[in-house]
Amino acid sequence: MKQIIELDVNDEVHELAVEPYDSLLRTLRDRAGMQGTKRGCDSGGCGCCTVLVDGKAVYSCMTMVMSVIDKKITTVEGLPEDGELDPLQQAFIDAGAVQCGYCTCGIMMASKQLLADNPNPTEDEIRKGISGNLCRCTGYQKIIDAIKMAAAS
Amino acid sequence: MALTSVQSFYSPEDSKGVIELLAKYEDSALIVAGGTFLHGLVSRGLLSGIEALINIQKLGLNQIDVSGATMTVGATTILGQLQSCEQVQKEAWLGAVKDAMTYPPVQIMNSGTVGGSISSSCPFFDFPVTLLALDGNVQAEGGNGARTISLDEFFAGLFENSLEADEFVTGVTIPVPASKSTSAFIKMETNANDLAIINLAVSLSMTDDGSCAGARVFAGGGVGETPVRCSAAEGILSASKLDEDTLEKAGQAAADELDPLSDHRASAEYRKAMGKVLLKRAVTSAIGRLA
Repeated sequence: MKQIIELDVNDEVHELAVEPYDSLLRTLRDRAGMQGTKRGCDSGGCGCCTVLVDGKAVYSCMTMVMSVIDKKITTVEGLPEDGELDPLQQAFIDAGAVQCGYCTCGIMMASKQLLADNPNPTEDEIRKGISGNLCRCTGYQKIIDAIKMAAAS
Repeated sequence: MALTSVQSFYSPEDSKGVIELLAKYEDSALIVAGGTFLHGLVSRGLLSGIEALINIQKLGLNQIDVSGATMTVGATTILGQLQSCEQVQKEAWLGAVKDAMTYPPVQIMNSGTVGGSISSSCPFFDFPVTLLALDGNVQAEGGNGARTISLDEFFAGLFENSLEADEFVTGVTIPVPASKSTSAFIKMETNANDLAIINLAVSLSMTDDGSCAGARVFAGGGVGETPVRCSAAEGILSASKLDEDTLEKAGQAAADELDPLSDHRASAEYRKAMGKVLLKRAVTSAIGRLA
Protein backbone atom coordinates (compact mmCIF):
# COMPACT_ATOMS: atom_id res chain seq x y z
CA MET A 1 0.00 0.00 0.00
CA LYS A 2 1.29 3.43 -0.90
CA GLN A 3 2.17 5.95 1.74
CA ILE A 4 3.06 9.61 1.59
CA ILE A 5 6.65 10.57 2.28
CA GLU A 6 8.66 13.76 2.14
CA LEU A 7 11.92 13.49 0.26
CA ASP A 8 14.63 16.16 0.04
CA VAL A 9 15.85 16.10 -3.54
CA ASN A 10 18.21 18.87 -4.66
CA ASP A 11 17.28 21.01 -1.64
CA GLU A 12 13.59 20.87 -2.47
CA VAL A 13 11.17 18.82 -0.40
CA HIS A 14 8.94 16.59 -2.54
CA GLU A 15 5.76 15.04 -1.20
CA LEU A 16 5.44 11.66 -2.87
CA ALA A 17 3.25 8.56 -2.69
CA VAL A 18 5.52 5.49 -2.64
CA GLU A 19 5.23 1.76 -2.17
CA PRO A 20 7.17 0.33 0.80
CA TYR A 21 9.38 -1.58 -1.64
CA ASP A 22 10.14 1.32 -3.99
CA SER A 23 13.76 1.94 -4.82
CA LEU A 24 15.10 5.47 -4.75
CA LEU A 25 15.50 5.21 -8.55
CA ARG A 26 11.86 4.36 -9.11
CA THR A 27 10.82 7.12 -6.74
CA LEU A 28 12.90 9.71 -8.56
CA ARG A 29 11.93 8.70 -12.09
CA ASP A 30 8.39 7.39 -11.78
CA ARG A 31 7.05 9.18 -8.69
CA ALA A 32 8.85 12.54 -8.80
CA GLY A 33 9.15 12.68 -12.60
CA MET A 34 12.87 13.47 -12.46
CA GLN A 35 14.32 11.44 -15.29
CA GLY A 36 17.90 12.70 -15.31
CA THR A 37 18.79 9.65 -13.24
CA LYS A 38 18.86 6.73 -15.65
CA ARG A 39 17.66 3.15 -15.25
CA GLY A 40 20.15 0.78 -16.86
CA CYS A 41 20.51 -2.70 -15.44
CA ASP A 42 18.36 -1.98 -12.36
CA SER A 43 20.56 -4.35 -10.37
CA GLY A 44 23.66 -2.46 -9.34
CA GLY A 45 25.82 -3.44 -12.28
CA CYS A 46 26.03 -0.40 -14.53
CA GLY A 47 26.07 2.77 -12.45
CA CYS A 48 23.65 4.80 -14.64
CA CYS A 49 21.44 5.40 -11.62
CA THR A 50 24.15 6.86 -9.37
CA VAL A 51 22.96 9.73 -7.16
CA LEU A 52 24.37 11.30 -4.01
CA VAL A 53 22.85 10.53 -0.62
CA ASP A 54 24.22 12.99 1.95
CA GLY A 55 27.02 13.66 -0.53
CA LYS A 56 27.98 10.02 -1.06
CA ALA A 57 27.52 8.22 -4.38
CA VAL A 58 25.14 5.25 -4.25
CA TYR A 59 23.23 3.13 -6.74
CA SER A 60 19.69 4.49 -6.48
CA CYS A 61 18.32 1.24 -7.98
CA MET A 62 19.55 -0.64 -4.90
CA THR A 63 18.65 1.97 -2.32
CA MET A 64 15.26 1.53 -0.68
CA VAL A 65 13.61 4.95 -0.65
CA MET A 66 12.20 4.34 2.82
CA SER A 67 15.73 4.06 4.17
CA VAL A 68 16.75 7.52 2.95
CA ILE A 69 13.74 9.69 3.78
CA ASP A 70 15.75 11.65 6.34
CA LYS A 71 18.71 12.22 3.98
CA LYS A 72 19.58 14.78 1.33
CA ILE A 73 19.43 13.42 -2.21
CA THR A 74 21.34 15.07 -5.04
CA THR A 75 20.65 14.13 -8.66
CA VAL A 76 22.12 15.43 -11.89
CA GLU A 77 19.29 18.00 -12.01
CA GLY A 78 20.76 19.49 -8.85
CA LEU A 79 24.25 20.06 -10.25
CA PRO A 80 23.77 23.48 -11.93
CA GLU A 81 23.97 26.50 -9.63
CA ASP A 82 22.21 29.78 -10.42
CA GLY A 83 21.56 28.62 -13.96
CA GLU A 84 25.25 27.87 -14.57
CA LEU A 85 26.36 24.36 -15.42
CA ASP A 86 28.50 22.59 -12.85
CA PRO A 87 32.19 22.53 -13.87
CA LEU A 88 31.84 18.78 -14.36
CA GLN A 89 28.94 19.22 -16.78
CA GLN A 90 30.83 21.90 -18.72
CA ALA A 91 33.95 19.70 -18.84
CA PHE A 92 31.95 16.76 -20.23
CA ILE A 93 30.74 19.04 -23.03
CA ASP A 94 34.16 20.56 -23.69
CA ALA A 95 35.97 17.21 -23.70
CA GLY A 96 33.38 15.56 -25.95
CA ALA A 97 32.84 12.97 -23.19
CA VAL A 98 29.20 12.31 -24.11
CA GLN A 99 28.48 9.73 -26.78
CA CYS A 100 25.02 8.18 -26.43
CA GLY A 101 24.75 9.92 -23.07
CA TYR A 102 23.05 7.17 -21.12
CA CYS A 103 25.88 6.65 -18.64
CA THR A 104 26.79 10.33 -18.40
CA CYS A 105 24.60 11.41 -15.49
CA GLY A 106 25.69 8.48 -13.34
CA ILE A 107 29.34 9.04 -14.12
CA MET A 108 29.04 12.73 -13.30
CA MET A 109 27.49 11.91 -9.93
CA ALA A 110 30.22 9.39 -9.09
CA SER A 111 32.80 11.99 -10.21
CA LYS A 112 31.14 14.59 -8.03
CA GLN A 113 32.01 12.59 -4.92
CA LEU A 114 35.46 11.75 -6.28
CA LEU A 115 36.35 15.44 -6.72
CA ALA A 116 34.77 16.41 -3.40
CA ASP A 117 36.95 13.84 -1.59
CA ASN A 118 40.02 14.32 -3.74
CA PRO A 119 40.15 17.59 -5.74
CA ASN A 120 43.29 16.57 -7.66
CA PRO A 121 42.95 12.88 -8.47
CA THR A 122 45.54 10.94 -10.45
CA GLU A 123 44.39 9.10 -13.55
CA ASP A 124 44.41 5.83 -11.57
CA GLU A 125 42.27 7.42 -8.86
CA ILE A 126 39.82 8.66 -11.51
CA ARG A 127 39.62 5.16 -13.03
CA LYS A 128 38.97 3.68 -9.58
CA GLY A 129 36.43 6.42 -8.82
CA ILE A 130 34.32 5.52 -11.84
CA SER A 131 34.94 1.76 -11.72
CA GLY A 132 31.32 1.26 -10.66
CA ASN A 133 30.04 2.85 -13.88
CA LEU A 134 29.91 1.33 -17.33
CA CYS A 135 29.99 3.24 -20.63
CA ARG A 136 28.67 0.93 -23.34
CA CYS A 137 30.05 3.25 -26.01
CA THR A 138 33.41 2.53 -24.32
CA GLY A 139 34.36 6.18 -24.48
CA TYR A 140 36.24 6.11 -21.22
CA GLN A 141 39.26 8.14 -22.27
CA LYS A 142 37.30 11.32 -22.96
CA ILE A 143 35.33 10.82 -19.76
CA ILE A 144 38.62 10.64 -17.86
CA ASP A 145 39.83 13.72 -19.74
CA ALA A 146 36.64 15.55 -18.73
CA ILE A 147 37.09 14.68 -15.06
CA LYS A 148 40.70 15.91 -15.24
CA MET A 149 39.48 19.15 -16.85
CA ALA A 150 36.85 19.63 -14.15
CA ALA A 151 39.48 19.04 -11.47
CA ALA A 152 41.74 21.67 -13.05
CA SER A 153 39.00 24.27 -13.43
CA MET B 1 14.18 -4.65 -8.58
CA ALA B 2 10.67 -5.34 -7.51
CA LEU B 3 9.71 -6.77 -4.18
CA THR B 4 6.02 -6.37 -4.72
CA SER B 5 5.00 -8.77 -1.96
CA VAL B 6 6.30 -6.26 0.60
CA GLN B 7 3.52 -4.54 2.51
CA SER B 8 5.50 -2.72 5.18
CA PHE B 9 8.88 -1.09 5.71
CA TYR B 10 9.97 -0.64 9.32
CA SER B 11 12.86 1.31 10.80
CA PRO B 12 12.89 0.35 14.50
CA GLU B 13 15.24 2.23 16.81
CA ASP B 14 16.32 -0.60 19.10
CA SER B 15 16.98 -4.32 18.85
CA LYS B 16 13.88 -5.09 20.92
CA GLY B 17 11.79 -3.55 18.15
CA VAL B 18 13.60 -5.63 15.53
CA ILE B 19 13.13 -8.88 17.46
CA GLU B 20 9.41 -8.17 18.00
CA LEU B 21 8.93 -7.66 14.27
CA LEU B 22 10.90 -10.81 13.45
CA ALA B 23 8.73 -12.77 15.90
CA LYS B 24 5.58 -11.32 14.35
CA TYR B 25 6.49 -11.94 10.69
CA GLU B 26 8.72 -15.02 11.13
CA ASP B 27 9.95 -16.12 7.67
CA SER B 28 8.13 -13.33 5.85
CA ALA B 29 10.38 -10.56 7.20
CA LEU B 30 13.77 -9.57 5.86
CA ILE B 31 16.41 -7.49 7.61
CA VAL B 32 17.84 -4.77 5.36
CA ALA B 33 20.51 -2.11 5.68
CA GLY B 34 22.43 -1.04 2.56
CA GLY B 35 20.16 -3.12 0.33
CA THR B 36 22.95 -3.83 -2.15
CA PHE B 37 22.17 -7.53 -2.50
CA LEU B 38 18.37 -7.33 -2.43
CA HIS B 39 18.27 -7.55 -6.23
CA GLY B 40 20.55 -10.59 -6.09
CA LEU B 41 18.19 -12.36 -3.71
CA VAL B 42 15.09 -11.27 -5.66
CA SER B 43 16.51 -12.47 -8.97
CA ARG B 44 17.25 -15.87 -7.43
CA GLY B 45 13.63 -16.12 -6.30
CA LEU B 46 14.59 -16.15 -2.63
CA LEU B 47 12.38 -13.28 -1.47
CA SER B 48 9.02 -14.18 -2.98
CA GLY B 49 7.17 -14.43 0.33
CA ILE B 50 8.66 -11.35 2.00
CA GLU B 51 5.98 -9.05 3.47
CA ALA B 52 8.03 -6.82 5.71
CA LEU B 53 11.40 -5.14 5.38
CA ILE B 54 13.10 -4.27 8.66
CA ASN B 55 15.74 -1.57 8.28
CA ILE B 56 18.30 -1.83 11.09
CA GLN B 57 20.22 1.34 10.23
CA LYS B 58 18.71 3.27 13.14
CA LEU B 59 20.12 0.93 15.82
CA GLY B 60 23.52 2.61 16.00
CA LEU B 61 25.32 -0.57 14.96
CA ASN B 62 27.70 1.32 12.65
CA GLN B 63 30.63 1.27 15.08
CA ILE B 64 34.11 -0.23 14.94
CA ASP B 65 35.84 -0.95 18.26
CA VAL B 66 39.50 -1.96 18.16
CA SER B 67 40.40 -1.13 21.73
CA GLY B 68 40.42 -4.60 23.30
CA ALA B 69 41.62 -8.13 22.63
CA THR B 70 38.76 -8.50 20.16
CA MET B 71 37.96 -6.22 17.24
CA THR B 72 34.22 -5.58 17.01
CA VAL B 73 32.54 -4.31 13.86
CA GLY B 74 28.85 -3.44 14.04
CA ALA B 75 26.44 -4.86 11.47
CA THR B 76 25.58 -1.58 9.76
CA THR B 77 29.20 -0.45 9.44
CA ILE B 78 29.59 0.36 5.75
CA LEU B 79 32.53 -1.06 3.84
CA GLY B 80 33.94 2.45 3.37
CA GLN B 81 34.13 2.88 7.15
CA LEU B 82 35.99 -0.40 7.47
CA GLN B 83 38.43 0.71 4.77
CA SER B 84 39.15 4.00 6.56
CA CYS B 85 39.75 2.28 9.90
CA GLU B 86 43.34 3.09 10.91
CA GLN B 87 44.11 -0.46 12.08
CA VAL B 88 42.81 -1.96 8.83
CA GLN B 89 45.16 0.30 6.91
CA LYS B 90 48.19 -0.27 9.17
CA GLU B 91 48.13 -3.71 10.78
CA ALA B 92 49.58 -6.63 8.83
CA TRP B 93 47.22 -9.12 10.48
CA LEU B 94 44.25 -7.19 9.04
CA GLY B 95 45.84 -7.09 5.58
CA ALA B 96 43.20 -9.41 4.14
CA VAL B 97 40.46 -6.95 5.13
CA LYS B 98 42.42 -4.05 3.63
CA ASP B 99 42.83 -6.02 0.40
CA ALA B 100 39.15 -6.98 0.21
CA MET B 101 38.12 -3.34 0.55
CA THR B 102 40.09 -2.31 -2.55
CA TYR B 103 37.77 -4.14 -4.97
CA PRO B 104 34.23 -2.69 -4.66
CA PRO B 105 33.32 0.49 -6.52
CA VAL B 106 32.58 3.62 -4.50
CA GLN B 107 28.81 3.10 -4.69
CA ILE B 108 29.10 -0.25 -2.87
CA MET B 109 31.67 1.10 -0.39
CA ASN B 110 29.11 3.80 0.52
CA SER B 111 26.16 1.49 1.12
CA GLY B 112 27.16 -2.17 1.46
CA THR B 113 27.42 -3.21 5.11
CA VAL B 114 29.49 -5.71 7.06
CA GLY B 115 26.35 -7.36 8.47
CA GLY B 116 24.78 -7.67 5.04
CA SER B 117 27.88 -9.25 3.54
CA ILE B 118 27.74 -11.93 6.22
CA SER B 119 24.01 -12.54 6.62
CA SER B 120 23.37 -12.77 2.86
CA SER B 121 25.35 -16.03 3.13
CA CYS B 122 26.43 -15.70 -0.49
CA PRO B 123 29.48 -17.86 -1.23
CA PHE B 124 30.66 -15.42 -3.92
CA PHE B 125 31.24 -12.52 -1.50
CA ASP B 126 34.68 -11.30 -0.47
CA PHE B 127 34.47 -10.07 3.12
CA PRO B 128 33.18 -13.40 4.57
CA VAL B 129 36.22 -15.19 3.14
CA THR B 130 38.59 -12.72 4.82
CA LEU B 131 36.68 -12.97 8.07
CA LEU B 132 36.86 -16.78 8.00
CA ALA B 133 40.65 -16.62 7.55
CA LEU B 134 40.82 -14.33 10.59
CA ASP B 135 38.80 -16.76 12.76
CA GLY B 136 35.94 -14.26 12.95
CA ASN B 137 32.67 -14.71 14.77
CA VAL B 138 29.14 -13.50 14.16
CA GLN B 139 27.21 -11.68 16.89
CA ALA B 140 23.48 -12.33 16.73
CA GLU B 141 20.55 -11.20 18.82
CA GLY B 142 17.09 -12.71 19.09
CA GLY B 143 14.23 -13.66 21.39
CA ASN B 144 16.56 -15.80 23.51
CA GLY B 145 19.15 -13.06 23.89
CA ALA B 146 22.52 -12.45 22.30
CA ARG B 147 24.90 -15.17 21.17
CA THR B 148 28.19 -15.61 19.37
CA ILE B 149 28.38 -17.97 16.40
CA SER B 150 31.73 -18.97 14.95
CA LEU B 151 31.66 -17.96 11.30
CA ASP B 152 32.44 -21.43 9.93
CA GLU B 153 29.35 -22.71 11.75
CA PHE B 154 27.27 -19.74 10.64
CA PHE B 155 27.22 -20.59 6.93
CA ALA B 156 24.90 -23.53 6.43
CA GLY B 157 24.65 -23.75 2.63
CA LEU B 158 23.90 -21.68 -0.43
CA PHE B 159 22.20 -18.50 0.90
CA GLU B 160 21.52 -20.41 4.13
CA ASN B 161 22.77 -19.66 7.62
CA SER B 162 22.22 -20.93 11.13
CA LEU B 163 20.24 -17.91 12.40
CA GLU B 164 16.91 -18.63 14.07
CA ALA B 165 13.86 -16.95 12.52
CA ASP B 166 13.78 -14.30 15.26
CA GLU B 167 17.52 -13.61 15.21
CA PHE B 168 19.52 -11.03 13.32
CA VAL B 169 23.20 -10.23 12.92
CA THR B 170 24.33 -7.32 15.11
CA GLY B 171 28.01 -7.45 14.22
CA VAL B 172 31.17 -9.47 13.81
CA THR B 173 34.15 -9.95 16.08
CA ILE B 174 37.73 -10.78 15.19
CA PRO B 175 40.22 -11.97 17.82
CA VAL B 176 43.36 -9.80 17.81
CA PRO B 177 46.20 -12.32 17.34
CA ALA B 178 48.48 -12.79 20.35
CA SER B 179 51.57 -13.39 18.22
CA LYS B 180 52.98 -11.85 15.05
CA SER B 181 50.49 -12.44 12.24
CA THR B 182 49.83 -11.31 8.72
CA SER B 183 47.12 -11.88 6.14
CA ALA B 184 46.17 -11.18 2.54
CA PHE B 185 43.20 -11.55 0.19
CA ILE B 186 42.92 -11.71 -3.60
CA LYS B 187 39.81 -11.64 -5.79
CA MET B 188 39.67 -12.53 -9.46
CA GLU B 189 36.87 -10.63 -11.17
CA THR B 190 35.61 -9.85 -14.65
CA ASN B 191 34.85 -6.24 -13.72
CA ALA B 192 34.68 -4.08 -10.59
CA ASN B 193 31.00 -4.77 -10.12
CA ASP B 194 30.90 -8.51 -10.56
CA LEU B 195 31.01 -11.27 -8.01
CA ALA B 196 34.27 -13.17 -7.69
CA ILE B 197 35.34 -15.77 -10.24
CA ILE B 198 37.32 -17.08 -7.29
CA ASN B 199 38.68 -15.39 -4.20
CA LEU B 200 41.07 -16.53 -1.51
CA ALA B 201 42.24 -15.29 1.88
CA VAL B 202 45.20 -16.48 3.86
CA SER B 203 46.20 -15.65 7.42
CA LEU B 204 49.58 -16.69 8.83
CA SER B 205 50.93 -16.60 12.36
CA MET B 206 54.68 -16.28 12.27
CA THR B 207 57.58 -17.12 14.57
CA ASP B 208 60.44 -14.69 15.11
CA ASP B 209 62.72 -16.62 12.75
CA GLY B 210 60.28 -16.14 9.85
CA SER B 211 58.72 -19.61 9.94
CA CYS B 212 55.00 -20.11 9.76
CA ALA B 213 53.48 -21.33 13.04
CA GLY B 214 49.90 -21.65 11.83
CA ALA B 215 47.83 -20.90 8.75
CA ARG B 216 44.24 -20.33 7.72
CA VAL B 217 43.23 -20.62 4.06
CA PHE B 218 39.72 -20.06 2.78
CA ALA B 219 38.49 -19.78 -0.81
CA GLY B 220 35.17 -18.54 -2.13
CA GLY B 221 33.49 -17.48 -5.36
CA GLY B 222 32.04 -20.49 -7.10
CA VAL B 223 34.13 -23.06 -5.30
CA GLY B 224 31.32 -24.42 -3.15
CA GLU B 225 27.94 -23.67 -1.58
CA THR B 226 29.80 -21.94 1.23
CA PRO B 227 33.38 -20.68 1.34
CA VAL B 228 35.77 -23.64 1.46
CA ARG B 229 38.46 -24.17 4.05
CA CYS B 230 41.67 -25.57 2.52
CA SER B 231 42.89 -27.61 5.49
CA ALA B 232 45.53 -29.62 3.63
CA ALA B 233 47.08 -26.38 2.34
CA GLU B 234 47.01 -25.00 5.89
CA GLY B 235 48.85 -28.11 7.11
CA ILE B 236 51.58 -27.74 4.49
CA LEU B 237 52.08 -24.03 5.24
CA SER B 238 52.19 -24.57 9.01
CA ALA B 239 55.60 -25.31 10.51
CA SER B 240 57.24 -24.47 7.19
CA LYS B 241 59.68 -21.78 6.10
CA LEU B 242 57.18 -20.71 3.41
CA ASP B 243 59.78 -21.31 0.73
CA GLU B 244 58.92 -21.66 -2.94
CA ASP B 245 58.64 -25.44 -2.77
CA THR B 246 56.19 -25.22 0.16
CA LEU B 247 54.06 -22.65 -1.69
CA GLU B 248 53.94 -24.87 -4.76
CA LYS B 249 52.79 -27.87 -2.69
CA ALA B 250 50.31 -25.83 -0.65
CA GLY B 251 48.89 -24.26 -3.82
CA GLN B 252 48.38 -27.67 -5.37
CA ALA B 253 46.78 -28.94 -2.14
CA ALA B 254 44.39 -25.98 -2.13
CA ALA B 255 43.42 -26.62 -5.75
CA ASP B 256 42.83 -30.32 -4.96
CA GLU B 257 40.52 -29.34 -2.10
CA LEU B 258 38.24 -27.27 -4.33
CA ASP B 259 35.29 -28.74 -6.18
CA PRO B 260 34.21 -25.62 -8.10
CA LEU B 261 31.24 -25.06 -10.37
CA SER B 262 31.33 -24.01 -14.02
CA ASP B 263 29.26 -20.98 -14.90
CA HIS B 264 29.27 -17.93 -17.18
CA ARG B 265 32.19 -16.49 -15.23
CA ALA B 266 34.61 -19.40 -15.50
CA SER B 267 34.94 -23.16 -15.80
CA ALA B 268 35.56 -25.41 -12.84
CA GLU B 269 39.01 -26.29 -14.22
CA TYR B 270 39.96 -22.63 -14.46
CA ARG B 271 38.80 -21.95 -10.91
CA LYS B 272 40.85 -24.89 -9.63
CA ALA B 273 43.95 -23.73 -11.49
CA MET B 274 43.51 -20.20 -10.19
CA GLY B 275 43.08 -21.51 -6.64
CA LYS B 276 46.68 -22.65 -6.76
CA VAL B 277 47.88 -19.36 -8.23
CA LEU B 278 45.94 -17.24 -5.74
CA LEU B 279 47.25 -19.20 -2.76
CA LYS B 280 50.84 -18.65 -3.83
CA ARG B 281 50.22 -14.96 -4.52
CA ALA B 282 48.29 -14.39 -1.29
CA VAL B 283 50.98 -16.03 0.89
CA THR B 284 53.67 -13.98 -0.88
CA SER B 285 51.66 -10.80 -0.40
CA ALA B 286 51.02 -11.59 3.30
CA ILE B 287 54.73 -12.23 3.93
CA GLY B 288 55.55 -9.00 2.09
CA ARG B 289 53.51 -7.07 4.66
CA LEU B 290 56.02 -8.02 7.37
CA ALA B 291 59.04 -6.75 5.44
